[in-house]
Amino acid sequence: MIQLMIIEAKSLNKKFGDVVAVESLDFEVGRGRCYGLVGPNGAGKTTTMKMIYCIAEPTSGTLNVFGLNVLEHPREIKARLGVVPQENNLDPDLSTCQNLRVYARYFGIPRDIAAERCQNLLEFMHLSDRADSPVPSLSGGMKRRLILARALMNDPELIILDEPTTGLDPQVRHLIWDRLLELKERGITLLLTTHYMDEAQKLCDEILIMDEARSVDVGTPGELIRGHVRPFVLELRADRTRVAEILERFGYLEHQASGQNLYFYGNTTEEFDELYGAFPDVEHLLRPASLEDVFLKLTGREIRQ
Amino acid sequence: MSEGILSVTPYFIKVWARNAQVFLTLWKFNFLPALTEPLLFIFVMGLGIGSYINEIEGVPYLDFVAAGILGSAAIMQATFECTYGSFFRMRMQNTFESIISTPVSADEVGLAEVAWGATRGLVNATLVFLILLFMGIFHRWQVVFLPALMFLAAANFAAIALLVTSRIAQMEYFRFYFAGFVLPAQFLCGTFFPVSRFPEAIQVFAWIIPFTSYIDISRSLMLDRPAAALPLELLYAVGTTVIFTELAVRSMHRRLVR
Repeated sequence: MIQLMIIEAKSLNKKFGDVVAVESLDFEVGRGRCYGLVGPNGAGKTTTMKMIYCIAEPTSGTLNVFGLNVLEHPREIKARLGVVPQENNLDPDLSTCQNLRVYARYFGIPRDIAAERCQNLLEFMHLSDRADSPVPSLSGGMKRRLILARALMNDPELIILDEPTTGLDPQVRHLIWDRLLELKERGITLLLTTHYMDEAQKLCDEILIMDEARSVDVGTPGELIRGHVRPFVLELRADRTRVAEILERFGYLEHQASGQNLYFYGNTTEEFDELYGAFPDVEHLLRPASLEDVFLKLTGREIRQ
Repeated sequence: MSEGILSVTPYFIKVWARNAQVFLTLWKFNFLPALTEPLLFIFVMGLGIGSYINEIEGVPYLDFVAAGILGSAAIMQATFECTYGSFFRMRMQNTFESIISTPVSADEVGLAEVAWGATRGLVNATLVFLILLFMGIFHRWQVVFLPALMFLAAANFAAIALLVTSRIAQMEYFRFYFAGFVLPAQFLCGTFFPVSRFPEAIQVFAWIIPFTSYIDISRSLMLDRPAAALPLELLYAVGTTVIFTELAVRSMHRRLVR
């Protein structure tokens, strides 16, 4: 049996006038996977997602969702997916429940089914007691949960989440993570962007790192970490003269410098013993390497726009 | 992706229904304030100025100006709905983006907005129609065609307004639209006195704006007098409505799907 890919992008390009937003992007997402797109702001993640949910059109290349071409079958594709956009776009003039039910109408879902789903999803997202609240009275976390509930109204096979937890408190982030993992268990495919590498590491089976409209690397979180950085990191924080001193003596070790911070990478913790012994008073943290180290190594530590 | 009115399916009614639902939720903000302007017009123009004018083209002034008041109620409401209203939904609330992320297409959103603007114009004009009816201003049965004509007028101006809305980057540009087109339409198209009083150049300008045709047809229905050229005026009214709706729908598609 051929494994049908939920998303297939081949040499995908998107230009806005002269600005290249996405360039020669290739990737595939299998059914039931959680696929992450990470990269600095302006890397092309949101544009890639918008092409998948058919509100931006590829300039060239092919993009198939559920095996259907996005330019030829937008309506069929959109009927089968749910979207959590980066910016909240709830209807402020309607109540929580009305938001879901009006949205259900756009999918042609019958009233009684919409009413039942509305109730179930508000429960699922811990919003039942706010069913009749006007949207402006909801907190940021509640709005985000409501948007996720809305994305589930059509019982989608694929959910596209553009920074689903940005700006939320830890409780809400954990609730959203739990729900997403639960949805994945049910076989729903997830495509998400995030700036939180812990989130990507926790949720994603596979991650595509984008920078300046292009793919930089792709792999499981473990593969990316093993492929780009050594397993251990020693973080040091010191003033500029001290940083210079440290680098003069230990610059031969693999490292990155960013202002007053130094990051040394090693295969074993013993590699840091000499360094640590020479500067015992410097503030330090020894930890396993994370996806954040990979991200910063591949996309640089300087601030972009 | 196909574009234009011909690509639209009945899905557009769902977007219209969303607007209707919000309108009814906020009904107390929507019905009464919109009636202030036509009521003031009737009071100031008809009863105030009208008391100094015995007759205009052989009829009492209030009978004459009724067509202008009715038409203004339709086109102004439609214009406000598809300028500030649509822009607000598009840019401030991102409502359109949420809708086109569902099976509904951008073209359907565009047509729904025009249809909704036309509906608002019709609702407003119907209320004014009833007020004029109770005031005993109508004398002919042909006035039953007025609501349908007002719906067309409202659709016409909703389409032109939505075309502008789909093209502008910020709300402030509406000021140019109102100053350069909407207000001249309201004042130059035979609303308060016959277009024939103007110099020829202004008459031509007035007849280019479809509102002149709507008022002239309305007057022919209300008063016992023929329209200037009924078939031609109707053709122009329907034609500009269809053309501007098509342009607005296509332009909205380009604005929303990038």
